[in-house]
Amino acid sequence: MTTTLVVAGFVGAYILIATERIHRVAAALGGAAFMVLLGVVDAETAFFSEETGVDWNVIFLLLGMMVIVSVLKQTGVFDYVAIWAAKRARGRPFPVMVLLVLITAVASAALDNVTTVLLIAPVTFLVCERLGVPPVPFLIAEALASNIGGTATLIGDPPNIIIASRADLSFNDFLVNLAPIVVVLLAVFVLMCRFLFRSAFTYDEDRVAAVMALDEREVIRDMGLLVRSLVVLVGVMVGFVLHSALHLEPSIVALLGAGVLVAISRLEPPEFLEEVEWSTLVFFMGLFVMVGALVEVGVIESLGERVTEAVGDNYFLAASVLLWGSAVLSGIVDNIPYVATMTPLVQDLVDSGGGAGEAKALWWALALGADLGGNATAVGASANVVIIGIAARNGHPISFWQFTRYGMVVAVVTIAIAWPYLYLRYYAFG
Amino acid sequence: MRARDLATEFPTVALDTDAMAAARLLSRERLPGLIVVDADGRPYTVLPGSQVLRYLVPRYVQDDPPLARVYDEKASDELCGKLSESTVRDLLPDRQDIDEIPVVDHDATSIEVAAVMARMHSPLVAVVDGSRMLGAITVAQLLDSLLPNA
Repeated sequence: MTTTLVVAGFVGAYILIATERIHRVAAALGGAAFMVLLGVVDAETAFFSEETGVDWNVIFLLLGMMVIVSVLKQTGVFDYVAIWAAKRARGRPFPVMVLLVLITAVASAALDNVTTVLLIAPVTFLVCERLGVPPVPFLIAEALASNIGGTATLIGDPPNIIIASRADLSFNDFLVNLAPIVVVLLAVFVLMCRFLFRSAFTYDEDRVAAVMALDEREVIRDMGLLVRSLVVLVGVMVGFVLHSALHLEPSIVALLGAGVLVAISRLEPPEFLEEVEWSTLVFFMGLFVMVGALVEVGVIESLGERVTEAVGDNYFLAASVLLWGSAVLSGIVDNIPYVATMTPLVQDLVDSGGGAGEAKALWWALALGADLGGNATAVGASANVVIIGIAARNGHPISFWQFTRYGMVVAVVTIAIAWPYLYLRYYAFG
Repeated sequence: MRARDLATEFPTVALDTDAMAAARLLSRERLPGLIVVDADGRPYTVLPGSQVLRYLVPRYVQDDPPLARVYDEKASDELCGKLSESTVRDLLPDRQDIDEIPVVDHDATSIEVAAVMARMHSPLVAVVDGSRMLGAITVAQLLDSLLPNA
């Protein structure tokens, strides 16, 4: 009876999150509270259990990176780089889009994709306004690029952070396994932009002068802060790469970086906490408690047994189903709750394979499916929702279908490329 | 002192008034804001000067203030050109943000007037007697009456 109620509560909360009938934080916290009322969850399981509780590594990694980004934002470095790129592209719209897409993708891999689009969107409006070209295609391209670029690293996309923590995968594991295919996908995406957004590339030669007249140095308010921030950021990246050797969790690396940056920046709390999305952090906590309840009552274990039985030793089939299934589901519901739910299940599958390479590749199938699938619709990934919100506030509303008709094409093409990559790397020659 | 004693005649604009004309009125008369009246001449809301600026400065610059530094004179002139194609209605914030309007009854005390201004961050309030508008009180006029003589 309790199990049935837990599943019903979980499904109910999930429906509320997916349909956005109430705010997703309220749905996740409501679901968590329901699990507590059922007696499945208590303080011990919610706060201190590694298997069924809040994953503090995820929460504090996100918090640390959000603080780092808050300080970086104060330096104006994103505006500088974007204006510099627009001038390097000589104000021609397609090269401008290519450079903005590449900047967004790289920044998404180094920071996280939601914050990156928040930082790159304002300067995109400025450049497009000067060029007299519509900003919407540029914004959509940036959201799509952020989801592709973010796939490359542990910190690039929230689903990756969850997968890394639950599967005990390192920063370098992500870099080695996902970055190569992401480079290929980005190259393909850039080519696709030429055709997908071709109508946005007509421009007036006279307006190019307005772009070339922009002085990127003007946006750097505090050169000292910029230099200090970049030094710390490089230190944090080195820390991520070496975290296994240093025996430091990525969350500790991020928190250390954030702490150092706050100490040397001399900024006030409202400034260095500006980009911290408290609602997102609380949403994650509620989700972890809900999924923990499913684990606690044995739902995940019995599902895992059935799936393991069905898969047998055909891990490529499992990876294919996981890749395409995750892509479809991530397009329908936000990929964060989806991955939070799937990780215990995939863990069971990987464990049943005895940690063999072809079983471990299921993690990469899940990451690729969820991250790239997030591009499929306007609500598939947080970056999409954020960019649509910014566009609306600036008087350029993007409808669900306007985004989805580009996103769907990009998602299908990128997943279709990732599929043979998984096969060739882990199953044919693995 | 009561609101009716403080109120002075004040320029009003309608929702369909040309935005450029309204902005010029603000500038020429050195006003902190304008009273916007509806079709029946009743106060609809107050249009503070800062709201005109908020309309002029693109939202993305408000979100990312360092970008304001790359605006040169020519680009700034282009921004002001937006007013020629707009009305006062366009300058106002969304309706849900102005459900409460800075209006006081003619019988309100100075502190009541001050409380309305402070709560609504308004540089002026309209003073009414029933449905008839008597005038308006600016922050400067209010402070004049509240502060002790030097």
